[in-house]
Amino acid sequence: MSQATLLDLRDANLGYGDSVVVSRLSLTLRAGERIALLGASGAGKSTLLAELRQRLAERAAWCPQSHGLVPQLAVYHNVYMGRLERHSALANLCNLLRPNRRAWAEISELCRELGLDGLLKRPVGQLSGGQRQRVAIARALYQQRELFLGDEPVASVDPHQALRLLALIDKRHATSVIALHQRELALTHFNRVWGLRDGRLAIDAPADELTLADLDRLYPDAHDANDAEG
Amino acid sequence: MPRAEAISAAPGGLRGDSPGLRLARRSLTLIAACVVLLPLADMAVITRDPWSELGRMLSGMAWPHWWSLPSPIGAIALTVAVALWGTLLGILLGFPLALVFSRSRLVRAGCAFVRAIHELFWALLFLQVFGLTAVTALAALAIPYAGIFAKVYAEILEQTPPAPRDALPPGVGRVSRFVYAELPLVWERLAAYTRYRFECAMRASVLLGFVGLPTLGFHLESAFREGRYHEAGALLWLFYLLIASLGVWGHRRLLPLLVVGSAFLLGPWPRIDGDLLWRFVSRDLWPAPLREGDWAGLLAWLGEIPELLPAIGNTLLLGLMGTVGALLVALALWPLASRHFGNRATRLGGRGLLIALRSTPELMLAFIFLLLLGPSMLPAWLALALHNGALIAFLAARHADALQPGMPGLNASGRYAYELLPRIYPGLLALLFYRAEVIIRETAILGMLGIATLGFHIDSSFAYLMFDQAFFLLLVTAALNLGVDALSRRFRPRDVVLDDPCSR
Repeated sequence: MSQATLLDLRDANLGYGDSVVVSRLSLTLRAGERIALLGASGAGKSTLLAELRQRLAERAAWCPQSHGLVPQLAVYHNVYMGRLERHSALANLCNLLRPNRRAWAEISELCRELGLDGLLKRPVGQLSGGQRQRVAIARALYQQRELFLGDEPVASVDPHQALRLLALIDKRHATSVIALHQRELALTHFNRVWGLRDGRLAIDAPADELTLADLDRLYPDAHDANDAEG
Repeated sequence: MPRAEAISAAPGGLRGDSPGLRLARRSLTLIAACVVLLPLADMAVITRDPWSELGRMLSGMAWPHWWSLPSPIGAIALTVAVALWGTLLGILLGFPLALVFSRSRLVRAGCAFVRAIHELFWALLFLQVFGLTAVTALAALAIPYAGIFAKVYAEILEQTPPAPRDALPPGVGRVSRFVYAELPLVWERLAAYTRYRFECAMRASVLLGFVGLPTLGFHLESAFREGRYHEAGALLWLFYLLIASLGVWGHRRLLPLLVVGSAFLLGPWPRIDGDLLWRFVSRDLWPAPLREGDWAGLLAWLGEIPELLPAIGNTLLLGLMGTVGALLVALALWPLASRHFGNRATRLGGRGLLIALRSTPELMLAFIFLLLLGPSMLPAWLALALHNGALIAFLAARHADALQPGMPGLNASGRYAYELLPRIYPGLLALLFYRAEVIIRETAILGMLGIATLGFHIDSSFAYLMFDQAFFLLLVTAALNLGVDALSRRFRPRDVVLDDPCSR
């Protein structure tokens, strides 16, 4: 295990303003790791991701939970926003009026891989939930960073498609940290799991050393919920 | 009866602390204040036979003489051109200000000040330097509108959803961020407000005819004043048609053509005399004792202003009466245009009535009532109450139409009092308090018709070329408006979502 360390947190308190959401956090992120971030809602996943995003800055592509898409703009422009900072303001303005030929070619290729072909000119507001999710992923992929940070990027697609999207993300990024709620996926598809419970890192272990029962303990109501579902 | 004691007694009228009761108390206080002060207002009907005059006016509306109009095309073209370019210049000035609005106290104060002075007063002011020219007309619209656009655009931009902005990669420049992740999200609302403001500009452009600029209002005023009611009726219908067909001729795709084309219709252009302009700004507008630093003289100068306090009193009184009147009119009229009441025919008629009242400039309405009832506060009150009441009623009806009554079987009065009014009343009252600022501004200009508000003295000071006095009174008007605005903001129902920018 001689991979480079990308990030090292020791006893960090994370939160907004004065309120601490995740306390006394210690973890290490190494290049090449694929990390599933688990935890009940409110456990601090988004807070941790925000911290990672801030610390890794330009090395990380970011796919937010709320997508952060602009419904009035076309799919093409939403994906283009992934590289907004790499063009001049004037070039960006012109691109709004008339798409940049190279960017158009790259983005249509990317969208084809994501099953969005033929939708490039469609405003995002007219797409289905699953399609929007894929646009958000396309925008993150278009950023072309070494590392992928995602907050529930495969939450609203079917399991089959979720696997396909995760494979695409892996193909283009050596390292990834992805918040999930599908526990099975975390064990089969990632090589490390970070589990948050009540603002503390309860699990930090390789995926092959964990069982579903271990992960269930992250969710205080999981047992009751399963009963209710059954 | 031992059981009866366990049941609490019915509370006294209006006692309690629910939000509805608080609003009801607030409204009744307002109405009571109006009733108490009403005897102070001059409400006499002076004309001998208002009914026959009204009959002649109505017959003029019913049988307009289209053929006797002396080529209204020029007046219409100028009205549209002034409204369009006045709005456009207002946007060009106001939009950049909107971007710094929340950061600069100076910008906020400046915008509040230019907003507080009515378009017609700006016109009167510029008239002295630029004469009856396009510069006067455009500046009269563009300057107050810049202040309004700055404020409303800033409010809309403030409500931009933050998620797209937060999702951007680090290092995106200000301009790129704005055009990709902010502007598209609020574009629809900015456009809707701009469209509404253009409609206001059309009304204001007509009104500019009252100070002599040859827009539609010029012909309207002279036709009414000289009793040519059939001609006036034709002109009024023409104006309503123009407003009603705005969606057709003001279509997004036609707009560039319209903007360029109408630029050639503007005119005449003045020869600007720099010395004269400088003299006006540096000398004429300021009282002589102030320029000379003579403080005792300044006091004497202040004392010479005729009836300053009664004029302020009348302005405030008329503002209060107009606000209360608008409330009552709105409460009575909103069901006319709502889908919950009446049948198709009554709704169509009700909506038509509300749109007509809302589209007619209040000065125009007041002018018509003045011809009917003679010069007192009564015509001004009627005009303010009807115009603003109809505007609020229209928005309240639209609000009510979006609601689904929980109990389908109720009769009309039950629906009104139990289902709908409790839900729309906070919004209605909030609109009214917003509108109070507009009403007090309009109150002042009604003075130009001879009603003894501040506007009357401003108008006559300009007429006697006493520019220092006129300017001082303009500042008093502006201060009054700012005061009323602060007051109404204080008492406005809070936590009401007012997503309708078309109330200001």
